Amino acid sequence: MKIIACVADPTLRARVDGVAQRLKAELIHVSTASGPDFRSNGAGGADVLLIEMPGDRNLDRIVDEAERLGAALLVACHCMEDCDASGLAEAHDWFLMPADEQELEARLGSARRRSVREALHRNRRDAAELLRYEELLHDRLTGFPTLPVMMEQARELLETRGELTILYIQFVWYEKIEEIYGWQKLDDVLESTANGVSEFYRRHHPDSKSLMMVSHIGDDDFILITERPQGPGLAQPEKALKELTQALESFLRDRLETDHSEDIASLCGIYVGAATIFRNPKIRVERLIYRGIREASQAARGAKEWERSRKIADLKTLLREGAVFMEYHPIIITDTEEIYGYEALARGRRSGLRSPEVLLEVAAEANLLWELSRLLRKRAVEGIKDELEQGQHLFLNVDPHDFNDPEFRDLSPEALGIDDPDRIVLEITERTAIRDYPQFQEYLKVFRGRGFRFAVDDAGSGYAGLGSIANLEPDYIKLDISLISSIDTNFLKQNLVETLVGFAENHGAMVIAEGVERREEFETIKQLGVHLTQGFLFHKPQIAGLRR
Amino acid sequence: MADSILVVDDDPDSLDIVRTFLESRGYDVATATDGKAGLARLEEVRPALVLLDVMMPGMDGWEVARVIKNHPDFTDTRVVMLTARSGFSDKQEGLRAGADDYIVKPIRLDELATRVEKNLEARTSST
Repeated sequence: MKIIACVADPTLRARVDGVAQRLKAELIHVSTASGPDFRSNGAGGADVLLIEMPGDRNLDRIVDEAERLGAALLVACHCMEDCDASGLAEAHDWFLMPADEQELEARLGSARRRSVREALHRNRRDAAELLRYEELLHDRLTGFPTLPVMMEQARELLETRGELTILYIQFVWYEKIEEIYGWQKLDDVLESTANGVSEFYRRHHPDSKSLMMVSHIGDDDFILITERPQGPGLAQPEKALKELTQALESFLRDRLETDHSEDIASLCGIYVGAATIFRNPKIRVERLIYRGIREASQAARGAKEWERSRKIADLKTLLREGAVFMEYHPIIITDTEEIYGYEALARGRRSGLRSPEVLLEVAAEANLLWELSRLLRKRAVEGIKDELEQGQHLFLNVDPHDFNDPEFRDLSPEALGIDDPDRIVLEITERTAIRDYPQFQEYLKVFRGRGFRFAVDDAGSGYAGLGSIANLEPDYIKLDISLISSIDTNFLKQNLVETLVGFAENHGAMVIAEGVERREEFETIKQLGVHLTQGFLFHKPQIAGLRR
Repeated sequence: MADSILVVDDDPDSLDIVRTFLESRGYDVATATDGKAGLARLEEVRPALVLLDVMMPGMDGWEVARVIKNHPDFTDTRVVMLTARSGFSDKQEGLRAGADDYIVKPIRLDELATRVEKNLEARTSST
């Protein structure tokens, strides 16, 4: 317990000394000559302020002072008027002099309890307030602090170390992730990236206390502010920085592959840029930091551009060398479970260009879609034409965009090296929307004239309604995966599929269910009369030539 | 314990008929007359099945279905839509909203009984 006393009356002074001793309290007397002055007297941490009422009865300054110290204010009064003044000034307690030691002890004890209670309350309130602010200042998805929090720490670090390194981590993804796997997946992927950043830094700087992280505006980039990389690279700071960014990039890529899959990882890009800033007393710290962030983000963007041009160069090499291979996913006749045909699926032979989605995306960016499609078609046919048995079909994926390619428009069975064109089914995937329906139908008519058949992909997915299916007059209607999963327990899906089967039969077409994974799903679609089935329940995609 | 069913419909007459009929078949029935109230009742009652009218003022049936099916606590709650039309695009909308089944209005009570039974069966078999 700490008591500050500002008392002139000698009797009271002596009694306070006695009581303080008995209570084992620390007691500091301050001068009354020029009014109580607490600032210079080690008053911090006081529990109780004991004041003899000044002649002008003005307690305003003292009440403020008590508030500031968090101490209870106890006033010794000479008369009843003094007591009234104390009450009006909102002192915590007061007593009429003379007061004996017992009364003093009781008053001081209660004043102290009061101040302790208030301090507790205040602390709790402050803690809650602090927590709320902390939450506001942290990113919800990753839990990383935001820029304002970090700015203060960065300033300290810059002032003590004289320099700082800023790493800018930019995360890009192909839109297909959301389309194929849903936005929840993208959130998961971003979360793994954030965790990866923390983990990387813990691993590389196990004892670094100065690690700070920021999740920047938007959800696709992170900033990491830290010390400059030390160690063998010290003589060549640029090299050490470059090594660090490369190590971080490859660490994050590995992390995505282990947390998710190679396919997902190949649909994401992670680019790290670095910048080092130095203390400069002539420039505001904030400006230095923002400048560093900008520089690092430009470096990351540069890395991204570089990666993009590397991928395009890779794709050109891939096209020149024909470095793709084909997988064939069997389609069976639902009733007999015999193989009716194969859908050709392309895979790139170069790292970073494995998944068909990435292949197509890069080709679209580089304006090489036609070239890629030509290669894939050629390979798809070559790979399997000698293995197709009597009555078996080859399903080739075709984008509406392909019909703008003059070479594709001239496509003939002879050019593909196929004798009976009705075994080739062109599966139209609406990756790009069909803009000019009449023109498109005109193309289809020509192709039909040459003997080709058509399938509509992803029917019922919400893009292709019955109207657009009817417009294309397909020979096959391929049901969207979302219609098939759990169809055994969803009556709405059953009804939709039933409708599509009826529609197909009225138009002389066949229905294909894809993505059939469970026996129950298969039994259901069989009952509904779906003609053809494709899915892991029966076959996985296979490389051609296995049967030879 | 009897399965509980929540019926959400802004037409009090239709609501009354459905409730009386389902109660006579031994189900516990809770009701609500708009989407928001329906979601509040859903949390209280935690029904096995929700019958949702599509055409309601404010939040329509599709929206309510979407909220229910996207909530982790209610993934195995069966959602059956009560719809005036049964066009292909309506069903597609239902599929997007995550509905499990639909019944075309005006409701025939024997059909209602079969659809409810089938959906409750499918729910037990899939959990």
